[in-house]
Amino acid sequence: MYYAGIDAGSNTIKTVILGEEGIASYHVIKTGLGGEEQAARCLEEACAKARIGREEIACIYCTGYGREYLNFPQGRKSEIICHGVGVHWILPEVRTIVDIGGQDSKGIRLNERGEVENFNMNDKCAAGTGRFLETMATALQVPLEEFGACALRATEPVRVSSTCTVFAETEVISHIARGKKRDEILLGVCQSIVDRIAAMVRSIGVKPPVAMTGGVAKNPAVVKLMGDRLGLPLLLPPEPQITGALGAALMARQDILSRQNSQPALSG
Amino acid sequence: MAALEKFEHWYHNRHEYAREWKKRTGGKVIGTFCTYVPDEILTAAGMLHSRILGSHEPQDVTEPHIFGMFCPFCRDSLAQGLKGRFNYLDGIVLAHSCIHYRQTFDSWRAHIPTEFTYYLPMPNMVQSPSAKSYYVGEVAKFKAALEEYAGKKITDADLDRGIELTNKNRRLLHKIYEFRKTDPPKLTGTEALYIATTAQFVDYEEHNKALEEASEEVADRTVDRDPGIRLMAVGSENDDVEFFKMVESVGATVVIDEQCAGTRYFWNEARIQPDRLQTISDRYVERPPCPTKDYPERQRFPHVLQLAKDYKAQGAIIMQEKFCDPHEGDNPVLKKYLEDNGIPTLGLEFDSTNPLGPFRIRVEAFLETLRTDDLF
Repeated sequence: MYYAGIDAGSNTIKTVILGEEGIASYHVIKTGLGGEEQAARCLEEACAKARIGREEIACIYCTGYGREYLNFPQGRKSEIICHGVGVHWILPEVRTIVDIGGQDSKGIRLNERGEVENFNMNDKCAAGTGRFLETMATALQVPLEEFGACALRATEPVRVSSTCTVFAETEVISHIARGKKRDEILLGVCQSIVDRIAAMVRSIGVKPPVAMTGGVAKNPAVVKLMGDRLGLPLLLPPEPQITGALGAALMARQDILSRQNSQPALSG
Repeated sequence: MAALEKFEHWYHNRHEYAREWKKRTGGKVIGTFCTYVPDEILTAAGMLHSRILGSHEPQDVTEPHIFGMFCPFCRDSLAQGLKGRFNYLDGIVLAHSCIHYRQTFDSWRAHIPTEFTYYLPMPNMVQSPSAKSYYVGEVAKFKAALEEYAGKKITDADLDRGIELTNKNRRLLHKIYEFRKTDPPKLTGTEALYIATTAQFVDYEEHNKALEEASEEVADRTVDRDPGIRLMAVGSENDDVEFFKMVESVGATVVIDEQCAGTRYFWNEARIQPDRLQTISDRYVERPPCPTKDYPERQRFPHVLQLAKDYKAQGAIIMQEKFCDPHEGDNPVLKKYLEDNGIPTLGLEFDSTNPLGPFRIRVEAFLETLRTDDLF
């Protein structure tokens, strides 16, 4: 039997298909204009990768910013719970998650059962989110995928002091105009996001080990700086972007299993 | 209209209500700043207490008058005056609480003419042994000023009437709040918000009558919604109906509040004493304190916790009005205090308009953490 989890984020839609043997497939697409159609497309692609038909999926759960707009899932859960469940399944030892997504960043503290003990989220703006990095990548004309690697080539960061995305962009442009090295500015941008998120995560009390998830966890400079700042090595799931969707799929499975009156099987 | 619907109607048509009241009675309408204004005296003088509240809409009129770092409630309130929405007011009165509010009052006084304005220096050090003897003198001066303005004495019989009507209102509000204690609660937090907030600007006789009728309606009610998690709302002037509606649409019911637009306004009655003015002024010195007045002993925290226990709240949403220093000082300590006593909290920062989408994500996640047992 198969189960699906869809994480309809602000920037990307992620789908994970879970089979009896673990993750059968996953797929990530840009949200674009979003909506039901785009989420269905993402699900179809994931089904194709798993070589199954959609009718073989017993239950679909949805999470993420866009979950309210989707009609086809059988259940909806917040991204906080889903990241907790997803990370706990892959890395059961993890007690704190730093998740940086497209428009939200979160600190989530888990207990030994993977249940959320405490969480905190960014304020109501794009500071300290993936969108912040995207804006800076555009200003510096660096593809997002290369952002982190380029930043790590710099030895000294150029300080970016504005937390506001718009003001920070202006600051970055003025650094470019003053002839500062691109990679050093990139490192400064990463440092700025880390400073902000680390402070937020500390407010919930950091318990090691710490894992990082979300699209921004694919930026090696942010991961390295975050580890330095928290004074801990950070664990990374093999695919950090899909832990929310994975958590949703696990909860879809749990839904069916509990209906069949079976014992919970969320861990392992 | 069913009695319960009246409160919602008044809430959304407060200006029409006040204009109609004025036309019907020929009385004066006095705008009040802060729940520390002794509404008993205004009622005794035959005037309508009309609380100045914001409208929770974006506005662009206050920038020239008060700083952008003044709390959004102050800016929203002043905007209502500058936009002429309170142009029926005959006077305004402020009971001192915080500096943002006093300067909002000053700006109103300077730019929006009314016949009568009064600054009532309510002491912040309410725990001082001399607070009561000081404040009764100030309340006497306030009474004299109203008499001079109205050209008419406020008699002992008038004061008795003022005290009786306001105390009755407090008793009736307590009575209807009892329906929030039941499982499932017979009254939603949104309904309670309409009910408690309108007490601040509807004639007490009418409000009392509606409360009596509504209590009977609610008593007979069968609750057809899943109440979900029982929450407490802690804040200041957070009468954001849309927020309460959102919270109650995602699997929760707000069963009790500790905020100015709620219990802090009506919680204690005036204790009847031989001296009528002492009866009135002591009531405000003794009431559940605003953080501006809760010093040096912290009396607010045990009061909040007791409310949470009495109404069986499973968690609390701490609604932090942005830039409200007195509450910003309290909230980290209050959060810890509640959590140490078994009440998990979610802190949210409120502006005059709020991002309901991101707030919903946080509230849903908070509710899920309170329901963790169901998940596994």
